[in-house]
Amino acid sequence: MIDIFMDKFLTIGLEHFLILSGTLFFIGLFAVLAKKNVIAVLMGIEIMFTSVNINLIAFNRYTAAEALLTGHVFAIFVIALAAAEVAVGLALIISIYRQRTSTDVQDFDWLKW
Amino acid sequence: MNFPVLTTILLLPLLGAIISIFVPKEKSSIIKGIAGITTFIPLVLTIWIYYLYYTQHMATGGYAFTESIPWVKDLGITYGLGVDGFSLPLVLLTSVIGFCAVYSRSWSVETRAKEFYILLLILITGVMGTFLATDLFIFFLFYEVVIIPIYLMVIIWGSGSKTRKDIGKEYAGMKLTIYLLIGSAFLLAGLIWMYMLAGEMLGVLTFDLATLATLNFAPNLQIAIFGLMALGFLSLISMFPFHSWSPDGYAGAPTAVSMIHAGVLKKIGGYGLIRIGIFLFPVGAKFWAPVIAVLAIGNVVYTALISLAQKDMKYVVGYSSVSHMGFVLIGIASLSLVGLNGAVANMFGHGIMAALFFSIIGYIYGITKTRYIPDLGGLAHQMPRLAGAFLVAAMASAGLPGLLTFVPEVTIFIGAFDSPITRIPAFIVLTGIVIGAVYVLRMAANVLFGPRKEQWDYVEDIKGFSLLPIAVLVAFAVIFGLFPSLLMDMVNSGIQPIAAKLLSAGSQIGGSL
Amino acid sequence: MDINLTYLMPEIATALLAVLVLLVGLLVPKEKRHALGYVLALGLIAILVFSFQYYGLNKTVAFNTFAVDDFAVFFKQLFLIAAVLVVLSSTMYVKKMNGNYEFYIITVVALLGMMVLASAADMLTLYIALETMAISFYILAGYKTDQKSAEAGIKYLILGAVSSAVFLYGLSLVYGMTGTTVIAEIAGKVQDLSALSPALILGLLFILAGLGFKISLIPFQMWTPDVYEGAPTPVTTFLATGSKAACFAVLARILLVALPDYSTHWQFLVAVLAALSMIIGNLVAIPQTNIKRMLAYSSIGQAGYIITGILALNTAGVTALSFYSLVYVLSTIAAFAVVMTFSAQTGSDEIKDYAGLAQRSPFMAAVLTISMLSMAGIPPLAGFVGKLYLFKSIVTQGYLWLVIIGLVMSMISVYYYLRVTKVMYMVKPLDKEPVTVPLGAKCTLFLTMLALLVFGVYAQPISMLANMAGSALLP
Repeated sequence: MIDIFMDKFLTIGLEHFLILSGTLFFIGLFAVLAKKNVIAVLMGIEIMFTSVNINLIAFNRYTAAEALLTGHVFAIFVIALAAAEVAVGLALIISIYRQRTSTDVQDFDWLKW
Repeated sequence: MNFPVLTTILLLPLLGAIISIFVPKEKSSIIKGIAGITTFIPLVLTIWIYYLYYTQHMATGGYAFTESIPWVKDLGITYGLGVDGFSLPLVLLTSVIGFCAVYSRSWSVETRAKEFYILLLILITGVMGTFLATDLFIFFLFYEVVIIPIYLMVIIWGSGSKTRKDIGKEYAGMKLTIYLLIGSAFLLAGLIWMYMLAGEMLGVLTFDLATLATLNFAPNLQIAIFGLMALGFLSLISMFPFHSWSPDGYAGAPTAVSMIHAGVLKKIGGYGLIRIGIFLFPVGAKFWAPVIAVLAIGNVVYTALISLAQKDMKYVVGYSSVSHMGFVLIGIASLSLVGLNGAVANMFGHGIMAALFFSIIGYIYGITKTRYIPDLGGLAHQMPRLAGAFLVAAMASAGLPGLLTFVPEVTIFIGAFDSPITRIPAFIVLTGIVIGAVYVLRMAANVLFGPRKEQWDYVEDIKGFSLLPIAVLVAFAVIFGLFPSLLMDMVNSGIQPIAAKLLSAGSQIGGSL
Repeated sequence: MDINLTYLMPEIATALLAVLVLLVGLLVPKEKRHALGYVLALGLIAILVFSFQYYGLNKTVAFNTFAVDDFAVFFKQLFLIAAVLVVLSSTMYVKKMNGNYEFYIITVVALLGMMVLASAADMLTLYIALETMAISFYILAGYKTDQKSAEAGIKYLILGAVSSAVFLYGLSLVYGMTGTTVIAEIAGKVQDLSALSPALILGLLFILAGLGFKISLIPFQMWTPDVYEGAPTPVTTFLATGSKAACFAVLARILLVALPDYSTHWQFLVAVLAALSMIIGNLVAIPQTNIKRMLAYSSIGQAGYIITGILALNTAGVTALSFYSLVYVLSTIAAFAVVMTFSAQTGSDEIKDYAGLAQRSPFMAAVLTISMLSMAGIPPLAGFVGKLYLFKSIVTQGYLWLVIIGLVMSMISVYYYLRVTKVMYMVKPLDKEPVTVPLGAKCTLFLTMLALLVFGVYAQPISMLANMAGSALLP
């Protein structure tokens, strides 16, 4: 019984990747919601994108036909776009930091939520 | 008949509004002239087609002077106009009151006159369109077109009330608008539902009333759709307990708007209820008729009692018009040919009477700056002509023989006593007639008679252009009073197909509902 | 399976136009650069006219990644119209920023994203296009140098990026379950799945949440009022119109083309979201004192109306969605163009400052009134016909309750719209100074007003195109 379980547990399969990615996704989401520093929030977002990449590549590896690399290609695009997003994000943070000398999300309260 | 006479009647006021946009706002006399012409020509044309229909088409019945242009094809919308014996009296009513509204007190509207006349002309077009439309989309389109201009006119040119200080004109305007719009939301929901169901039954989508009338909807659907639509129409006809917007709205509104509103706009509710509700959903109508009949008692008796307590002339007439609509509702609820005839004729009669009342009150208010009954008194000394017209209106409101409301009211009661649904409500409603006579006569007595008050000696009697609308309305009241068949025969020819539909529906379901 | 660039000409032309204007702008002296907006608008109009020839092709090109169907073309034209009107009305704004004309360029890049988005037939294309649009909007929202704008930018970026990530996670799950990213193939693969797949439902929910955020459905609406208020008004206009319309198109394509077999799972959810958006959006708009916030909440309500078109699961529904999207775009642009012009001159977005606008500028007051009444669906304006299309498509499908909620809420919306009207027409102006409308804004206002009036009484041409769009997506 325990052998079978260990066997299944120790042989890395699609489920492991999905669990990893799911965990990462929610860690990222938690960071976005809980972190006060806007840089940390951006990092949380990055973690969420990473979890998606793991998903995409794992699915590609385990379910798609050998020759098709759709998931990999998708992941590369995601990386590129996430980088672009962060670049814009940092620029905006710099802009807002100049005015408020703070990167704390709770200080961004000029507009009522 | 190649000349599109109905389109002319419908769109001339709108054309007037469009032309007025380009007239500089300082030249208010030109704008008034445009408004006068673009409402006078439709009046003449309407009287002409009324005559033609009366002499040529009435025997056969059905729509005449029809026009039909496909409009939005995939929705099955047609620009369809037509008149029959049912709509023609109401079209005539609209033309008369539209004309009188333009000429009455509004000749003295000086502040922002341009905007006033543009909105007034749009309002007249809207009301006219609902009565002329043979396509339900066009009907609904015009039905809603009227609401926004009324709102703007009430809040800009309206006046507050002395007796009800808490109710400003802005409150009155918004209340009126929201009531009517929410009512129309239910109406539209019902319309769209019916339209899609009909589309499934026919295989093509259509809003054409005549085509829709050939269908027999399932009884449960009829009950549901009639209920939805009735919510819309009944709030417009100011049925108890959805009536409270109406007196406030009248009191706040400028004279011309009160005239149109009490005179014709409310009648759209009754018109729609009969033409769309009863005609298309006879079974639904039978289901709901007892409810309408019972609520109509509230209309007549309750508001008549409130009216007794009012000291503001506009509120007296406002509540009285709600009360009169109760008679109309009783007639409608009787679901019989005679009762419906009476209801339609009474809508016409009340329209003329209410417009006359508001026109006179507007004139008095314009000079004395008060509508408060205890402030006034003995005005017959200073204004004999106006007092005469006032008495005609009051007598008409009380339903005196020889004036145009007498025959319709009697007809309503004949129809109502004949029908098992409305027999008992009709008995109760009879008390309303007595109370109705009390409050109008008391108002007339307190305003017109009594000792001469020195403070009103500067008041001049009505004459010249201001006399015109009042004279026209009095003339209508007397002519249709002395020759009621002019109206009754016409209405009868229009109601006949609707009554036939009711009968056939009754036989189909064995009268079980 | 060929790559024929002619099918991509509208997008290529738009990209080239952006680059061209960027280069030409360097040669123009700074104080005249705002006039580049007119050049750009002309170019976009040319593309708009040119794009009519793409109707009726109904093809998927470039390895099944790019759909040139009537639905896509309709929406592309919608975005082009929106962009033209926004660019025209923002000349004043660019002038005030010392000819900082990159504003135009980023707007056009966002437009490019939308255009590709409408055509995206593959989830990868779709995602790239979505991000192109979104990133452009992050920049645009933070474009002004004042505090509110930067804050709006950062808020939109954070929430937007999260929603992108959620959306993307959903896409990855759908990809994993079906093994394909081509939208049209997903439906077939879903049918092949023997049992109900929980992962697919999760993916569906994530996609719905991600896109729900972009179209600001309740409960994903929290960014909307802030960003609408803080962002420069031209940006708000484009964000409220183009970006939303694009996401409606994507939502329709994904739900109706890729996942129709799971409709039992998403239909009720969408219906509830629509009802909530209509109710909350319209009710919360009532107490607003800032006109941009009010319009933001009203646009939440509008989004609720538009997605009802998806519920019908048939051609009529997509037609209605397309038609109403156009009407929504026109009326929103009209309203925001007034707000834009007004705040450019008076520096205020508060409703109370609109006092007596009817006397200061009768034209602006009339346009604002008409556009708001059109949003409320009062005939004879185009919004009424749009609502008729929407509600007729769902009324016999068991959504009578939604129709009634929708109609009643739209009448309640009249309440707050009329409050603005009342302020404009009733209250005496504090400042009698007439408000002048610059040429570009005048064109925008005039065109949108005309369109709302004309399409209200004569909807035939638009309904024809919308019908083509509808039957292209769901034959």
